Amino acid sequence: MKEKSGCIKRAGFNSRYKRFVLILAFLVLAAVSVMIGADKNVNPGSLLRLDAAAWQTFWVSRVPRTAAIVLTASGLSVSGLIMQSLSSNKFMSPSTSGTTDAAMLGVLLSFLLLGDQSRFVQLLFAFVFALASTMLFMAILGRIPLREAVYVPLVGMMYGGIIKALANAVAYRTNALQTLSKIGLGTFNRFTSFAMLWLVLIPLALAVLYAARFSIAGMGEDFSKSLGLHYKRTVFLGLCVIAVISAATFVTVGPIAFVGLIIPNMVTAFYGDDVKKTIPDVMLLGTVFVMVCDIFSRLIIYPYEIAVSFTIGIIGGAIFLVILFRRVRYGK
Amino acid sequence: MIELKQVSQAYGTQDILKNVSLKIKEKRITALVGANGAGKTTLLNVAANLIPAKSGQVLLDGRDICQMETIEIARKIAILKQTQHLSMRITVQELVAFGRYPHSKGRLKSADETKIREAIAYMDLENIKEKFIDELSGGQRQRAYIAMILAQDTRYVFLDEPLNNLDIKYSVEMMTILQKLVQELDKTVIIVLHDINFAAAFADEIVAMKGGEIIREGPAESIIDGETLKDVFDHEFHIIRVGERKVCVYFQPQPDREIKRSKDCFI
Ligand SMILES: Nc1ncnc2c1ncn2[C@@H]1O[C@H](COP(=O)(O)OP(=O)(O)OP(=O)(O)O)[C@@H](O)[C@H]1O
Ligand SMILES: [Mg+2]
Repeated sequence: MKEKSGCIKRAGFNSRYKRFVLILAFLVLAAVSVMIGADKNVNPGSLLRLDAAAWQTFWVSRVPRTAAIVLTASGLSVSGLIMQSLSSNKFMSPSTSGTTDAAMLGVLLSFLLLGDQSRFVQLLFAFVFALASTMLFMAILGRIPLREAVYVPLVGMMYGGIIKALANAVAYRTNALQTLSKIGLGTFNRFTSFAMLWLVLIPLALAVLYAARFSIAGMGEDFSKSLGLHYKRTVFLGLCVIAVISAATFVTVGPIAFVGLIIPNMVTAFYGDDVKKTIPDVMLLGTVFVMVCDIFSRLIIYPYEIAVSFTIGIIGGAIFLVILFRRVRYGK
Repeated sequence: MIELKQVSQAYGTQDILKNVSLKIKEKRITALVGANGAGKTTLLNVAANLIPAKSGQVLLDGRDICQMETIEIARKIAILKQTQHLSMRITVQELVAFGRYPHSKGRLKSADETKIREAIAYMDLENIKEKFIDELSGGQRQRAYIAMILAQDTRYVFLDEPLNNLDIKYSVEMMTILQKLVQELDKTVIIVLHDINFAAAFADEIVAMKGGEIIREGPAESIIDGETLKDVFDHEFHIIRVGERKVCVYFQPQPDREIKRSKDCFI
């Protein structure tokens, strides 16, 4: 008995310790992130000297970029977490279920139908397409019961591939391939504002507020009903949260793969599937991961940089494979 | 007050409940007994509004249950399903906390925390409350689900075969806890039981079902009777008195012949 309670305390201490490490890593990386850039004038020394030009660059270019990373990374990670909880499938995520591809198709169509529109119009198109496509995909999954959860991302990627091919065909027909390739690159170095990203705060707040409901919904429709939770409404709300985040991040940053898939997997492997408990760590770990990838992308060919989606694709892909093999080997 | 008025239910063309009417006695343990497929689970689910009745009415405190908000129902009726499928890896404590959802809507206050702690203590789960439910034995998991039902703290408690997977000690303890809930906290318990002896020993009322109908109902004492039980289960029962109690023996109707036959098998 005594030993057991000691164990439990240590486990509690351990998880708090892990979160502390994550917060520390986040702070260090955030500091590094705002200090990197082509303008060498921005450094701790000049900032301390209250150099006006340095502070100008700092506020206008460095801070927004780092904020964009935090919002994108935590948004995508939380989308993945909610999606995995609602579908009880560890392989669901915006990038493995066609959501991101549908957002891309939406943005392309807004270009073709309305010309170069404001970001907000693009965002609306991306949102509608992402939501519709995710609902369709969930409906398809409900219809064809797959024997192994592992098939879900494969079917999802095929589904996403079809949407992408559709987008390509449309772009080819309308001579818009160049537009498409510009849309389809994920990077934090667009010379445009990240203002639209602040929109991500709304679905993020909703996700935190409704975390307990998403957990209960993950236990199934009957279970939810016996606790008085409107299952369908909760699932729809979750899908809306996912679609807003996917659309807003796609329109501003571009497609970022794997984050929504691997981050929730890594966190829930330690803490279990209770959304309320894992949501802070999912946001933190997602941010830390994307920051590392972003810093790497900016340093490797300094003073130039490569698109962060490349780095994330390579590192994230490797982590995804590890997760895939572990899940296949140990079941579930 | 829960009252079923001529409730019918069907899957396809198959009638599952046929014009069932039942007034559930307040502050009593009512045992629902009957053979496999008699419609016990369906009756519980209809009474808790988990599935709508095809015809007829379920009244909860005089109101038609179909007209009520599900959360309002969940504050009054807690139901433990016959089978739980685990889709999530959560700890015992998190599962029990789900039971507070109808009251807290996910934001636990200190009163909720107290209820959770009490439920965990009641079901003797303190040592394993940090464990994931998929790492528990079947009986431990069953106790965790029951703790969740207790945390829900409703006036009506529906339990569909809660003794599944419980060992003898915990089965008896479970029934004793239910008796305490009724006597001390004025709750009303409806429980599906397969072991007729548990019904005989702990239930106040017994409702016997067969083929989608209630064929007998009344105080436990009056149902525990050879003829009645034979009618319900299509099986021979021998009722023995042990002190004040009636005990049903339902195996090896003629002991000596059975033993002889098993001896023959050896030779
Ligand atoms: N979802 C369903 N679809 C079709 N038929 C069903 C469904 N659920 C139950 N039934 C049928 O309804 C009848 C009653 O089922 P029910 O689960 O209520 O029985 P039960 O008395 O609880 O049995 P048990 O003791 O085995 O749990 C059975 O004949 C069963 O085949
Ligand atoms: Mg049943």
